[in-house]
Amino acid sequence: MNDDDHILGDDHGGGADGAGGFDGGVLEDELRRAAAVLDPVPDVLCQLAVEAYALHDLDARVAELTFDSLLDALPVRGAVDVPRMLTFQAGELTVDVEVSGDGLMGQVMPPQPARIEVLRGPGPGARLTADDLGRFTGDAPPTGPFALRLRTGGHVVVTEWLRA
Amino acid sequence: MIVTGSGTLPSTAYDDVPYTRGEFVDRADVGVLVQSAVDGDASAWKALVEGLSPLVWSVVRAHRLSDADGHEVYQTVWFRFAQHLGRIREPDKAGSWLASTARHECLKTLRSLSRLTVTDDPQLLDRISEDGSPEQSLLDSEEAAAQSERIRRLWQEFERLGDRCRQLLRVLMASPPPSYQEVSAALGVAVGSIGPLRQRCLRRLRARLDARGTS
Repeated sequence: MNDDDHILGDDHGGGADGAGGFDGGVLEDELRRAAAVLDPVPDVLCQLAVEAYALHDLDARVAELTFDSLLDALPVRGAVDVPRMLTFQAGELTVDVEVSGDGLMGQVMPPQPARIEVLRGPGPGARLTADDLGRFTGDAPPTGPFALRLRTGGHVVVTEWLRA
Repeated sequence: MIVTGSGTLPSTAYDDVPYTRGEFVDRADVGVLVQSAVDGDASAWKALVEGLSPLVWSVVRAHRLSDADGHEVYQTVWFRFAQHLGRIREPDKAGSWLASTARHECLKTLRSLSRLTVTDDPQLLDRISEDGSPEQSLLDSEEAAAQSERIRRLWQEFERLGDRCRQLLRVLMASPPPSYQEVSAALGVAVGSIGPLRQRCLRRLRARLDARGTS
């Protein structure tokens, strides 16, 4: 390690762009080694990311998030347990979802029955059914990353992954 | 893999790569790996995870989320990447895609938290000094004690930098070193300002270490 890697050049001027011959590369490398020891990617997370390959499904359409009350709605002052409202869209199909402490409620538009899986990760998820009017409910509110996989009219649509 | 020479590259897409050294992973490989993963090659996916996980993690850490939030953001980013694989318009920029998605999710988390509570730093310093992680015990072996102390001081001074520098350096120290494009996507900072900022922040850190008598 080069202990002579001082910042002497910094004393005159203090310009913003590297004047003075100080090569930060050595220090940056030290930081990189420190991060690898003190703050590495937790193994369990790396493993989950590897397993996430199972979520790669070219046959499913992705329903993109078009509304999220977390971003698009004004906060309600003092209200702590407001339901999170989400809207996903894939072509003609819209899925409205409301997540609260009590669970999950949703509506498929245009109204149609659907088999729905609440995904929490690469493994299988809880199964729900949307009735003929496209309405569905689930008891357990999702926490953490989740997505809905809907099978309806021969199509498979998966909502964009996000955090509940 | 394209071998990038040292220092005298012509103006290419690699302009934004500030340095080339040891374990430099050529980002051109990323596009190839993405395509292979789309075609069903699980080992290509694994290589992507191994090569880009530290970048995603760095972005999460740069935003100082709690462990629980950070873990969820990290997962969400990779789940979404798997979901969008094959639909990503510029596969060779998958690193930037991941960095930008991670940033977006971090900001969303911070925004939702700010509605409820004032968040505080997750006490990283305390955790480092008290936590006996395997890496830590390894470091504490006798011959490594001095090195351990050095790293600890370096990390402490890094943690005490201002938000902007701490954030930038935390992303830059991902391994392998991210490109400036990726850093830009991770922090929402213009590519052109990263070089000067980096230099300034590293100088500040050096000055802190020198002031402390550590070199």
